[in-house]
Amino acid sequence: MPYSEKILRALGKENIEVGDKLELVSGDFKLVGELMPKTEVGDPDTFVIKIDNGYNVGIRHAAASKVKLISKGTGAPKFESATMKSKPGLPKVAMIYTGGTIGSKIDYKTGGVYMLIKPGELLNEVPELAEMANLEIRHLFSIASEDISYMEWQTMAKEVESAFADGARGVVITMGTDAMHYTAAVLSFMLKNLSGPVVITGAQRSSDRGSSDAFFNLACAVKIAAESDIAEIGVCMHASSSDDRCAFTRGTKVRKMHTSRRDAFRPVNDRPIAYVDNKLQIRYNNDHSKIGPRKGKTEAVTGFEPKVALIKSHPNFDPSILDAYVEKGFRGIIIEGTGLGHVPASTTHKEYLWLDHIKKAIQEGVVVGMTSQCLYGRVHPDVYRNLRLVSNLGVVYCEDMTPETAYAKLGWLLGNYKPEEAKELLSKNIAGEIKERTEADEFLN
Amino acid sequence: MDPEYYKKIGFMCGLEIHQRLQTEEKLFCSCHTEIKDKGHEIAMIQRRQRAVAGELGKVDKSAEIEEGKERLFTYEVFRENTCLVDIDEEPPHTMNMDALETTISLAHSMGMKVVEEMQPMRKAVVDGSDPSAFQRTVLVALEGRIEVNGHKIGVPSLFLEEESSGIVESDQGNVVYDTSRLGVPLIEIDTDPTIPSPKMAKEVALYLGTLLRITGRVQRGIGSIRQDVNMSIKGGARVEIKGMQELSLMDKFIENEINRQQNLIEISKELQKAKARVGEPVELTKIFKGTTAKIVGSAECVVGARLSGFERLIGREINPQRRLGTEISDYAKLGGAKGIIHSDEDLKRYNLSQEEINTIRGELDIGAEDAFVLIAGSRQMAFKSMEHALWRADHAIRGVPKETRGAIPGELCTSKFLRPLPGGSRMYPETDTRPILVTKAMLTAARKAAPDLDSEKKGLGSMVKNEAVAAQLLLSPRLKLFKLVVQESKVDPELVANILIQKFTELKREGIDCDAISEGKIVDLFDEYHKGRITKQAIDPVLRELIKGGSVEAAIAKLGLRRLSGRELKSIVSKEKGKSKEETLRNVMSKYRLVVDGKELNDALAGKSK
Repeated sequence: MPYSEKILRALGKENIEVGDKLELVSGDFKLVGELMPKTEVGDPDTFVIKIDNGYNVGIRHAAASKVKLISKGTGAPKFESATMKSKPGLPKVAMIYTGGTIGSKIDYKTGGVYMLIKPGELLNEVPELAEMANLEIRHLFSIASEDISYMEWQTMAKEVESAFADGARGVVITMGTDAMHYTAAVLSFMLKNLSGPVVITGAQRSSDRGSSDAFFNLACAVKIAAESDIAEIGVCMHASSSDDRCAFTRGTKVRKMHTSRRDAFRPVNDRPIAYVDNKLQIRYNNDHSKIGPRKGKTEAVTGFEPKVALIKSHPNFDPSILDAYVEKGFRGIIIEGTGLGHVPASTTHKEYLWLDHIKKAIQEGVVVGMTSQCLYGRVHPDVYRNLRLVSNLGVVYCEDMTPETAYAKLGWLLGNYKPEEAKELLSKNIAGEIKERTEADEFLN
Repeated sequence: MDPEYYKKIGFMCGLEIHQRLQTEEKLFCSCHTEIKDKGHEIAMIQRRQRAVAGELGKVDKSAEIEEGKERLFTYEVFRENTCLVDIDEEPPHTMNMDALETTISLAHSMGMKVVEEMQPMRKAVVDGSDPSAFQRTVLVALEGRIEVNGHKIGVPSLFLEEESSGIVESDQGNVVYDTSRLGVPLIEIDTDPTIPSPKMAKEVALYLGTLLRITGRVQRGIGSIRQDVNMSIKGGARVEIKGMQELSLMDKFIENEINRQQNLIEISKELQKAKARVGEPVELTKIFKGTTAKIVGSAECVVGARLSGFERLIGREINPQRRLGTEISDYAKLGGAKGIIHSDEDLKRYNLSQEEINTIRGELDIGAEDAFVLIAGSRQMAFKSMEHALWRADHAIRGVPKETRGAIPGELCTSKFLRPLPGGSRMYPETDTRPILVTKAMLTAARKAAPDLDSEKKGLGSMVKNEAVAAQLLLSPRLKLFKLVVQESKVDPELVANILIQKFTELKREGIDCDAISEGKIVDLFDEYHKGRITKQAIDPVLRELIKGGSVEAAIAKLGLRRLSGRELKSIVSKEKGKSKEETLRNVMSKYRLVVDGKELNDALAGKSK
């Protein structure tokens, strides 16, 4: 919310802009300080002034309020930058910036957030990166991860392809964390024949604070990209609330499981592929595809069908909504069923029966997949009668995939294959998203 | 000391008072503020913090120094007193409005201007005491004034902020913090640097402490209030002294700091005259191969440096039991060293032979007017520590460095270097929580609750004649209870004050905590007395019984302490046939002391016939 018209008019008359030093006389107050910007919250009729001791104070506009310009401000802040020198012998790592908390820097004066786009600015933040790799920074876009669409995924996949083509040993992608697991899953399907690690990382705490997880996450991510033998896509974030190790988890098996903790990213039905400890030592923890001789280059297959829906079944859900999806031209639906993959199939309340609506969708050529809102475990088409009723309609049971991974997979399949092929492939492992076996210690880690 | 003296030396002094508030919840989350589960941590987490660029891209000097220590911080996490907000794993909740109201009411008491829209800020903190690496803080009011013993002292600002974690232990730079008190609302009152003398500083601190207490909404006990002194003298430098536990010793601490700065100024003059210079660090490890001197012999690396023109000055005392060398040593500790060895010491103490000393002097090219310092330890640590030590030695030539200093516990009232004074570049907006627009209703409520020290003193003085008891009551957490009892029971206030202050304290010494008895029961107890159902003497045993639980009525019945009626008394007296008044009095009192009113007994005796 910007300043009110009244305030803007008063400021405009004196040619005062945000960042300028001014004198404000209003009510009991007579203050000298810098005019701060108004954030989205707060009262638009209140001046916010940074006074000498560094504190901001809010003073209400009154009819008798007077402002006077003392001096003009210095404009946008300049961030310190370290010089980046290429060190012979160090591997080349491409770092793709897409925005989010990790790639931004606060202007301490105003609280405004700026993107760091110069490699030197980043190195100034995390100098140890220069000891691990020769970094090549590629600034793609500056967006929050919840604003990402399939078009950004396509651009990101192509950028990774081009980074490997340009000789990068590994790639680090920094992004916002909210849609990180969707992105990790989609890129896992889009990128074929990987020649090195693709490490997605971010931060749950912004890097303006000394306690930010960004520094350690970045260091661990670059370590994996520069030195690991992993030829997979994964997410590298804190493994616990302590700064003791980061986990690198397969892109199709990782999920954000907490709104704010730094160890929010957890493997679901899997274990992390590797850990990096606080001495930056890599410890492998799971099977993985390894870097090795391969035919051809890393390739991005970027087709994606955006008209795929992810629907959660719950009591009292009106299944006729499915018809609306079909009418809207949706080509795929992933259902988050309950338990082993249930939706109401035998209720006496006819209006809550899903079967006819699913049947209709499938007849219209929509691919329907079933996952579980339990997240952990595997769906099963046969254990109960109700399950059999649903699976008989031709719903694909998505094994141990998370709903988000199944969504990403179906979008990608429908973007690149015919519907019948997509349906066939949905339950076949392509990028580590389906494991035949679930081990005992792969729950709630 | 005569007030003119302090003017002459350019004495400047202001206070920063920090007081924890007694609220149900913390400032930005719903954890208990009362420490519930100390010693029962449910988790320990470890974090590293790094210095981040402050405003205008500059890393704050004190932040840089703290990071130089590369410390690992461990946080004890508790069930009742810690939540994810405290350990920087969840954004802050809305600000505690009770705490804000108390702060605004104090602002009224000091005639301050209340900010109209409160802007929560983050103040960078790099000693690890806050897991988020900043403290949330709000400037609540500006430009107030208090009057202490006829002196008007400006109070430019009043803040409401989060308390930091408490240190559990610190070893080689690794600090363990207890997060239970972290985030408890903390009021900070700053005064202008116009306090004219050390004694006045103590009085201003006492005044503000009392004002805070009479709100009835502040925490008690060790550490719940902290008084920091900001001071300087002409030719010296601004120094902040933290951690004075005893308010009564504040003036002694300030006097000592004046002396320290004067001595340092004197030393700097002598150093300048001697054209003193600080040399480069030189590695001397090889000299000590096979030495019997343990400290240097067992170290991976020994670094030395020449201090030209410093001879005898490192060893000069600048405060009781503190020398310039002690100051240099405290800086060296920043780099992880345990201390320094210097040439003004008796080096034989370290088992260094004369030959070794000569070799050191040779290697460092030490002349007759020169001194040297040695630091032993790991290579990185020794060089880093020497860098800090030499910075301090070099500053001795220029004068007094600006510092934050910590009071050293004990009778000497001296202080030691903690860290450089933080610069001004440590504040930025807290964007995770909304600004708070102060409403008229909030201001009215706060004005009503505003403590008024003068009228409070006058009021008490008119009720309680014993000045010592009145003064104690004013500062006591039982002040509120006193007012309640006087209002509800109509008992003589003097007696209530005596019981609440003297009797309660006496029983506390015996291990009986009367503060644990509910206010309602205390009111009932005085009510029983007022209605004549118990005697004054019975109050003590009833209190002892009440602590075990149960009602006042039950306690009186159980102990058989119902006061004897006039008729009962007469009948008892009449049974003492043939005895003198004195003997009767003795007999009755020995048997019925707790249930007999002395005056009534006298009346009964007066009517007694032989």
